[in-house]
Amino acid sequence: MWKNIIIHPEKCTGCHLCELYCSFHHFKINNPSRSRIHVIRSEPYIDSPILCIQCGLCIDFCPVGAIIRNKKNGAINVLIDKCIGCAQCVFVCPYGAATIDPITKKALICDLCNGEPECVKNCPEKVLEYVDATKAVYYKNLIISKLLKKESIPLEPYPK
Amino acid sequence: MSEKIFGYAGQILRIDLSKKKILKEPLRKDFIKKYIGCTGYAAAILWYELKPKIDPLSPNNKIIFSTGPLTGTFCPCSGSYEICFKSPLTNAFGESRSGGIFGPKMKYAGFDHIIIEGKSDKPVYIWINNGEVEIKDAQHLYGKTVHETTEIILEEIKEPKASVACIGPAGEKLVRFAAVMNDRDRAAGRCGGGAVMGSKNLKAIAINGEKDIEIANPEKFYEFVTEAKNALLKKTALRRFGTINAITVLNAMGALPTKYGYTGFFERAEDVSSERLLSKYLIKRRACFACPIGCGRYSEVKHGIWATPPHEGPEFETTDMLGPWINISNLEAIIKANYLCNNYGLDTISTGNVIAFAIECYEKGWIKEDLVKGIKLEWNNPETMIELIKLIAKREGIGDLLAEGVMRAAEKIGYGAPELALHTKGLEMPAHDPRGETRILAIKYAVEYRGGCHVHSGFPGLYDRSPESLNDYGLKEFGLPWPPKGKFIEEGKGIAYRFFAIFGQIPEIMGMCQFASMGSEGNMITIKDYAKIYSSLTGIEMDEYELMKIGERVYNLKRCFNVREGFNRKDDKLPKRMYEPIATGPVKGECVKNLDLMLNEFYESMGWDIKTGIPTFEKLKELGLEDVAEELRKNSIF
Repeated sequence: MWKNIIIHPEKCTGCHLCELYCSFHHFKINNPSRSRIHVIRSEPYIDSPILCIQCGLCIDFCPVGAIIRNKKNGAINVLIDKCIGCAQCVFVCPYGAATIDPITKKALICDLCNGEPECVKNCPEKVLEYVDATKAVYYKNLIISKLLKKESIPLEPYPK
Repeated sequence: MSEKIFGYAGQILRIDLSKKKILKEPLRKDFIKKYIGCTGYAAAILWYELKPKIDPLSPNNKIIFSTGPLTGTFCPCSGSYEICFKSPLTNAFGESRSGGIFGPKMKYAGFDHIIIEGKSDKPVYIWINNGEVEIKDAQHLYGKTVHETTEIILEEIKEPKASVACIGPAGEKLVRFAAVMNDRDRAAGRCGGGAVMGSKNLKAIAINGEKDIEIANPEKFYEFVTEAKNALLKKTALRRFGTINAITVLNAMGALPTKYGYTGFFERAEDVSSERLLSKYLIKRRACFACPIGCGRYSEVKHGIWATPPHEGPEFETTDMLGPWINISNLEAIIKANYLCNNYGLDTISTGNVIAFAIECYEKGWIKEDLVKGIKLEWNNPETMIELIKLIAKREGIGDLLAEGVMRAAEKIGYGAPELALHTKGLEMPAHDPRGETRILAIKYAVEYRGGCHVHSGFPGLYDRSPESLNDYGLKEFGLPWPPKGKFIEEGKGIAYRFFAIFGQIPEIMGMCQFASMGSEGNMITIKDYAKIYSSLTGIEMDEYELMKIGERVYNLKRCFNVREGFNRKDDKLPKRMYEPIATGPVKGECVKNLDLMLNEFYESMGWDIKTGIPTFEKLKELGLEDVAEELRKNSIF
């Protein structure tokens, strides 16, 4: 069964270690802006990682077919040689999980580290969990229920 | 630039605010070899570039924002930067560390150090975006609080991911213990860096960057830092309860400074304990960049007269200095006071110290009624505390006097005030009492280059705190006297402190938090670990003995900075109260007895002149500081 990463945002302290481990795993350097996971701090209250849910919307939108699904682990893979950096994936991603690498100018999308996500392994607060589908359903429902408990936040599709 | 230096950004940014000149300089390899980075490197810059005896609040002073090689990497607790300058409180070497994300952003923007010189003719702020630097007008930010300033700047530069370090109204008004605040609630508080920034008419620095930090030996580096991270995760108490946990721990020992050091035991300590914060006001924990510990608190008071918006804090020092130190046990008021100090940009330690000092002076009849103007200067009065914080930040009424810091305020007040004031070299004493805790703190407070300070350099507090928790910090094999003889035995403390003083420099020059280097070998980063981590990051071969040598060199250099300013043994002293017995509690009657003995031991083991407390010419030569020694000779110090 394919697995996926789920988030427990209430545990996040905003330490950015997941970003650092992510950029290290892929490029052997440290640079949060080249990470595929993004820790946001929104005052007040919110610290949370934002992460690709592997939905695959970007696959259809890529004009050059540079994004494919890895049949082995279900992850989204960007074919770097094909990618032209047009950022269609960035626009279509509903979570802001896809970005353009500031150095290579190619798309950055979570590839689940080939089935062993570094961010999950190294999060000191256990905010991230790599779970199979049945468990993921429960946690995702839980997050939705938490959202419902609070006031719902209207989406702002375009920045002011 | 010629050859690649791994780990470092490789560039220094120099901004002359008088001439509005922006210069980028390459990092000096010989300085890296000798001082590694961060405060070590900055100390060297200040030594070579500052003229002795300048006024710290004049355009001649410089303020350096410094990062170390580890800053911005995923080495745990490496999210630091330090500011170095000549301190307006002490006229000595001033340095102050802060966490948050400002330091890493400096590295990602491509700068290891930012040197600010001169003085702008009108308020400005600096916006650094990936190596591009802009000096922008800040007149509309004048008088704005730290949170407001941060918000407005982020809006203006249209880069929400940027980090802002700024001063509040206190820094603008040149309050001598004003802090530099970054990422809203993180403070480089001590020594008055905020006043130096204010004297330069510099309101803020905003920074963002997207550059890589390259690693010489990625596999090794990954292995070492992940190991270190897992070790630090064992600091369970610090993780769960934060630094404020120390309130109950120290109170049980009778070493919680209370009522301006009158006693070390606070009867209502429960009211300000970490448990109470946790159960009533804590929203969550917040960590600095790359920190697996996350000692930072994020709290709010929802209702009542002390209602306070969510913000980071309070930590231990703040809680004691704005609480038991003023005999206050109202945790809500402490949270409010912490919020105000953060927002005005005040150092909470110095603020608490100076408020309690004013209360005691008034009680003794040394402060005249016309100066007080109706404020009830009395113990255990939270309203008074809040009122005084506002007055100090605005330099109004009695606040104008207190904003000078206890040393200067005491001289103006007269009577017995100078003897009462709890400071060394002009820096207000923090919330650790050498009478009730280990006596090693007594020698530390006395000799420390930045004055009365519990952290820089090194934190020896756990060395012999209790028989069950003896701690050698991995320094046994370098010669640290072991086992310790007992915390109140003064003999040998001077020798022991040498090792903490030197080891304490290592996290500072690496760009690390001191908490990573505090604990026992299983749950801290030892000197051996530092050597391994540094070597694998930079590719510069380094072992622990070489590292200790560099630590000693940096410590001596900072000492020499002070020596050139005229400091010597006569300034290595403790306030009178430290020789008076603790009035109540479990260690009632304890006091410092023989500081001279400890000083002699320390000077001798450091290879300094015992009579003057100045590093000898030979010692400096041995450490590779010949030119420093020559300069001191030119100033006829030898």
